[in-house]
Amino acid sequence: MKKYKIIILLALVGTMGVSNALAQTGNEIADKVFNRSAPENGESDMTMALINSKGKERQRFLHQFFKDYGDTEKSTMFFKSPADVKNTSFMNYSYDDDRDDDQWLYLPALKKVKRISGGSKDDYFMGSDFTYEDMEKRNPNKDLHKLLKTETLNGETCYVVESTPKEEGQYSKRVAWVIKDKWIPLKIEFYDEDEELLKILSITEYEKLVGYWIIVTQEMENVQREHKTVIGLTNINIENGIGDTYFTQRAMIKGL
Amino acid sequence: MKTRIISIVALLFAFSFFIKAQEAEQKLETNGFIRNYMGVLTAPPNKFSINQNTLNLEFKLQTEKFGLYANPYYYQYADQEDVFDIRELYIDLVTDKFDFRIGKQQIVWGQADGVFITDIVSPLDLTDFLLRDFNEIRIGVNAVKVNYYPHNDHNFEMIWVQSFTPSISPQEGSIWQPDMDFMAPPTFDYSNQTRGNIFGNGEFFAKYSLSKSWADIQLIGAYTWDDAPSLHMSPITDPTPGLLIQPEHHRLSLAGMSFNTQIADFILRGEGAYYFGKYWQTTDISANDALIKKDYLNYVVGLDKTVRDWKFSSQFIQKRINGYEKGIYNDEIDNLATLLVSRSLFRETVRLEWFSYHGFNDEDALIRFRGFYYPQDAVSIELGTNIFLGTEGAFGQYNTNDMIYSRIKYSF
Repeated sequence: MKKYKIIILLALVGTMGVSNALAQTGNEIADKVFNRSAPENGESDMTMALINSKGKERQRFLHQFFKDYGDTEKSTMFFKSPADVKNTSFMNYSYDDDRDDDQWLYLPALKKVKRISGGSKDDYFMGSDFTYEDMEKRNPNKDLHKLLKTETLNGETCYVVESTPKEEGQYSKRVAWVIKDKWIPLKIEFYDEDEELLKILSITEYEKLVGYWIIVTQEMENVQREHKTVIGLTNINIENGIGDTYFTQRAMIKGL
Repeated sequence: MKTRIISIVALLFAFSFFIKAQEAEQKLETNGFIRNYMGVLTAPPNKFSINQNTLNLEFKLQTEKFGLYANPYYYQYADQEDVFDIRELYIDLVTDKFDFRIGKQQIVWGQADGVFITDIVSPLDLTDFLLRDFNEIRIGVNAVKVNYYPHNDHNFEMIWVQSFTPSISPQEGSIWQPDMDFMAPPTFDYSNQTRGNIFGNGEFFAKYSLSKSWADIQLIGAYTWDDAPSLHMSPITDPTPGLLIQPEHHRLSLAGMSFNTQIADFILRGEGAYYFGKYWQTTDISANDALIKKDYLNYVVGLDKTVRDWKFSSQFIQKRINGYEKGIYNDEIDNLATLLVSRSLFRETVRLEWFSYHGFNDEDALIRFRGFYYPQDAVSIELGTNIFLGTEGAFGQYNTNDMIYSRIKYSF
């Protein structure tokens, strides 16, 4: 499953999956991060900036809709630019059980909605520095956790938690700085299979909307490849009663 | 040609003024691309197979209940007459349960890539064989299309194409003109080929679509015309002994279905159609005009798989003539396969793609290997090669047309 659409909006709340290292405190952190309340539906504009080591920037603009149906989460993304991908749309259904996601892609040049097979979880999303797994709501039971310390970061008191996967994955470990009381991971370090620092995720802007903490801007930097991706959300509209018709092939073809 | 250009420009001006009047409520979207396309045959003397510049424009205005779309295009050639036309020009009306689209439009059906089995609404422009992008191969048809959505998962589509538009064959003298061997010198008479712009010459198509997480399924039916003309042949003696050949389009009905579903990490897809009463060329001397009417079945099964940055897709296509008789020019069973392998590199700034057709009956093939480089957003540079293998068949007949080509495209 790739629950990236809501995760894009709510931003990586589950990637560190903190749990029981320092007795009860670790469990509480894990539960509160993983179960942090999230809106059931919404939409937003999304800007994705891909920036290379020379500072050259490529931007993608999208509009996304999402809705949580309980056992199924549905999302639709519409590409607004660059011009060669404009009006391309992508729809994803992800399920709470072990089923793979269902995904469809509409390419305006082909005038056809195609069902597509999901790639590997360690594939990069749209050429960015985020892998599909990075954007997945990772269950804390998949990792062993260790609360390293408490530290102040950007004026916020944070728990610093090291998470090591129980089964071999694309990262050997993650270290997350979780804001006390807000349960938002303000920063996450990702280490490669040689335990070298690979990527750093930084949350640079977040705000409370309709009672939910929403991450508005985040930056993923690949320190080995000297490349980074900045994702920003604007025109965020949550709990606005998005209709079911936005999650249909009819909507994909019609576009925004 | 000049009159046609003036008419189209006048139409576009009228369209733009109308759009201006609407802009206060909804912004007009203007998109398109400019492209340079050059191809050179690899065989000496290395003639240009194509030398074309393209301007493609798209104007779109959409409100919640109403839409307008126009897609004029201009092909400028170095060595042949320019082409200036409108690919699509239509009006959309949208309600909760119904969509209406009225005007010239491309309509795409089916699940197959690169083959046309249930994708039979829009005829094909085969001026450059199958080498154009598919949205440039399909010809827009003047039609009324109605979609009814009783539920989000269900869609009934009805299409009335007001008058028959045939596929476009390569021009005489083109390197893509198919091989045609006749037993005697041919004399062509095209007087029966045009169906005329008559109400009764329309085409009717119907489709039901079911979209579920476990599968997408479409059932289709059509009462149409055969886009390819049948060649009625009869001997003549005046002015010289030979064959009189009269191309003529005939009615064709079909019923079919298409589907796709995910099995593990694979996408399984397919489509098939049973065609009623197609005219086939025959050498049977008792056959009227050297034609015989037979049903046939055409189907495709395809499998797609993505592994990291690699995409794999293969299809098997079979055509079977029902009640086959000796003397029919086509084989009773015709087998074809396609293979697509593509890979994106360097954060999707480079893409390599292999797409090939493999004909089993004639042991021929078309191999299209190409690379795309995207130096910046909206700019693509494509270098490719088209290689024809074999000596006969749909692809082998073009074995002297191997080429390399470049396409530089700027989208806006």
